Amino acid sequence: MTSGTLTLVSTKDDDLPSLPVVPARHPWRWVGVAFVLVLAAQFVHGLVTNPAWDWPTFARYFTAQSILTAVGTTIVLTVLGTVLGFALGIVVAVLRMSKSPFLSAVGWTYIWAFRSIPLIVQLLFWFNISYLYQRLSLGVPFGPEFVSFETIALISPMGAAVLGLALHQAAYAAEIVRSGVISVDRGQLEAAAALGIPRFRQFRRIVLPQAMRSILPNAANEVISLFKGTSVVSVMAIGELFYQVQVIYGRNARVVALLMVATVWYIILTTLLSIGQHYVERYFARGDRR
Amino acid sequence: MIEVLGVHKSFGALEVLRGVSLEVAAGEVVVVLGPSGSGKSTLLRAINHLEKVDRGYITIDGELIGYRRRGGKLHELKESEILKQRKDIGFVFQNFNLFPHLTALENVAEVAALSDARHFLERVGLADKADAYPRQLSGGQQQRVAIARALATRPKVVLFDEPTSALDPELVGEVLDVLRDLARSGTTMVVVTHEIGFAREVADRIVFIDDGVIVEQGSPGEVLDHPVHERTRAFLSKVL
Repeated sequence: MTSGTLTLVSTKDDDLPSLPVVPARHPWRWVGVAFVLVLAAQFVHGLVTNPAWDWPTFARYFTAQSILTAVGTTIVLTVLGTVLGFALGIVVAVLRMSKSPFLSAVGWTYIWAFRSIPLIVQLLFWFNISYLYQRLSLGVPFGPEFVSFETIALISPMGAAVLGLALHQAAYAAEIVRSGVISVDRGQLEAAAALGIPRFRQFRRIVLPQAMRSILPNAANEVISLFKGTSVVSVMAIGELFYQVQVIYGRNARVVALLMVATVWYIILTTLLSIGQHYVERYFARGDRR
Repeated sequence: MIEVLGVHKSFGALEVLRGVSLEVAAGEVVVVLGPSGSGKSTLLRAINHLEKVDRGYITIDGELIGYRRRGGKLHELKESEILKQRKDIGFVFQNFNLFPHLTALENVAEVAALSDARHFLERVGLADKADAYPRQLSGGQQQRVAIARALATRPKVVLFDEPTSALDPELVGEVLDVLRDLARSGTTMVVVTHEIGFAREVADRIVFIDDGVIVEQGSPGEVLDHPVHERTRAFLSKVL
């Protein structure tokens, strides 16, 4: 009975193995592509033909010395904010994950405090700290002082900006690092403990490199958002990119052209960061390749 | 060499070990058998203090594991001291737990000099896989690297927690070969396993655990062929 059926099928479709395969068609994709292309063409057309974009002014300022200096300041703020922020963030994450309830509470409180205060408020606070404390001194509370500084000399506007950005960043970095660490398989810690690897070395050699895989995409987000977030310090009259273009369009009223100068710089540098992210992620995925 | 005395351990309301005492002599190979959930893994993990016991104590070469005796009290050791003690106790996990971001050689070299690490990889027959990452190795090869890593701290005793249970059947043999080789060279070993054939061949002594207590122990011939207790017989009839 069965063999009879098989014979029937095979006589009917005996050319089946040799038939060509026609892929499924997706006509709506082409409609979508056409629609988006038309929109993009309209956008480009507008950029090119609308004189209000004022490209000659854009070209004059894009590589002007004042703008390049401001881009440099923005980069310095980003680098310092990132490096100091993540260094402190790792410490805070370790505190937060400590078995000691005291240290854990310290870590939690730090994150709570610095996530609660808006960055701009914190920056203005650091900027104005010399109103609050004219002198900073090192000594025993209610006892003798050892050294003492003029606050205004110790914390420059740039210093206040870096301090604010780094402290703010550290709270977010701490949570990103923690999320990465708790994503590492428990067996890894057990293996490291069973081998008698000292705690700090466990963290540095075993946990962190594996945690990096889930830390990196989030960290890259944070760096990029910090990079653009540096525009907030323009409230402190620091000559970073956004402050600088504001100063220039305040003088010549070419608002759109100068905002485009800043925008294009932000796009270029964010692109570079994204490319860097790709390579760093590839490095930390090395054990995952076949 | 190893002395386990009156060890109790509970997880919440569940008492997993209910007074286990066991002595292992230097160079002895002890195989621990028992149904799942009988407490055999917990016992093994208690020996290197991955699990803290509730009552009783464990010594290795007379040194108390995890505690210090002072003035009639047991003082918990600091983590750094416990980590130091664990260098004397090799541990091989069921799931290998190799470090995935390090090559085979780097995994072993994490706890030994590079030349030693090569030596131990050679000993498990994987010198040619030194630069492979764990993912590029078969389960059997991964477990052999894990064994090399456990040996690399030059421990006094090596504990194996179901070292072949996560392996495809055709890969079990290569790992058992390594264990056999270690046993022959006089390594003190405690092996939790379900490989009865291996136990019969290699064990100096078989310990049967059920429900958190040692039901019976003796030579493979005694325990496997002439079990005294009903529970041992019931277990063996299921696995043989």
